[in-house]
Amino acid sequence: MAVLTPDMVPAAVATGGSARVNVEVTPRFKPGDRIVVRNINPAGHTRLPRYVRGKQGVIQHDHGVFVFPDTQAHGGGPKPQHVYSVRFAAHALWGSEVSSQDSVYIDLWDDYMDPA
Amino acid sequence: MSTPHQRHTAPPSEPERRVKALETLLIEKGLVDAQTLDLLIDTYENKIGPQNGAKVVARAWVDPEYKQRLLRDASAAIAELSFSGLQGEDMVVVENTPKVHNLVVCTLCSCYPWPTLGLPPVWYKSAPYRARAVIDPRGVLQEFGLELDNDVEIRVWDSNAELRYMVLPERPLGTEGMSEAQLAALVSRDAMIGVVKVQAP
Amino acid sequence: MNGIHDVGGMHGMGPIVREDNEPVFHHDWERRVFALMISTFAGGQYSVDEVRHAIERMDPAHYLASSYYEHWLHAMETLLVEKGLLSQTELEAKRSQLAQEHS
Repeated sequence: MAVLTPDMVPAAVATGGSARVNVEVTPRFKPGDRIVVRNINPAGHTRLPRYVRGKQGVIQHDHGVFVFPDTQAHGGGPKPQHVYSVRFAAHALWGSEVSSQDSVYIDLWDDYMDPA
Repeated sequence: MSTPHQRHTAPPSEPERRVKALETLLIEKGLVDAQTLDLLIDTYENKIGPQNGAKVVARAWVDPEYKQRLLRDASAAIAELSFSGLQGEDMVVVENTPKVHNLVVCTLCSCYPWPTLGLPPVWYKSAPYRARAVIDPRGVLQEFGLELDNDVEIRVWDSNAELRYMVLPERPLGTEGMSEAQLAALVSRDAMIGVVKVQAP
Repeated sequence: MNGIHDVGGMHGMGPIVREDNEPVFHHDWERRVFALMISTFAGGQYSVDEVRHAIERMDPAHYLASSYYEHWLHAMETLLVEKGLLSQTELEAKRSQLAQEHS
């Protein structure tokens, strides 16, 4: 742990701190795969909102390997894994009354999904 | 080290008292540097803002190859213009077309691409927008004065991970021949969040 | 956690309230909170995940009723105390001391 001094500010602002982890991890999914979101309800930190749990979606893109917040927030380490952009049709999330055109895209970690 | 004595006709608010105590303690303990605080405030209040993202958009409008790089690897393309950094380390740019309209939200908190758009507005971080953008995007856009045809596909991007999203709005008609700087001046922060379109001059 | 912060899809939150020409910060204390958070975060006191979880653990009514930078203030006070870098006693003593100096 350090103190951020004024001379360090420009680099800190310009570089930030990516959550990417530079390790090889075998992805469980690839673009085009149909997935179902796990119905997990952790009492601790997660970035899996309730509105997608149990819903079916389609993998659009693999963003690469990132820190896993569910463990990182509780001292359980980064548990690096792939994060994917996943598309959910609006009516799959909200029912048949909503537009059949629209969709929600959300980024999901490997541990949040199973094959459909 | 004494702090400047301020005269208040009213007593300081509760947050003010808490912040003053926290800041004083952290400085006393050597965990933060007072000059650093002032420099950070100046950077994000006065230097970094949506004028950065507007330049990215204008570049993409005039340079088709830049636009393709931007859509394929936004972090690298934005870095070409030196707008990388904190809360924008891993960027995704999504393109609006006549048939596809993109809208960005962070339902869980306030995630937002700081290096290109600056700090987010209060409405973006508040429960009404965060709750409704994913379930009623058309209603949200109507509140911002934007009506889309039923055959336009809306894509709502929930920034729940560490990717940060920015919309590449459509270039309006009537802007042919404008310079890149003139184009950038048309692009609002709200257009790069996706709640409005860019208006022709 | 299935907390109050997880609002995607909820009804009843009211209209989206906007301010014309909204300033970056509405109060000087917000500027200070912003800078304190960035400074302590960049100094490695906590991860972004810990910060978010501290906010998620706020009392739900307080979370909804308070402003954004009050969430950040809550997170810093919570985490710095939990990590033993400050104590609740020190915070309260400093608040009292400053209040007396001010009056």
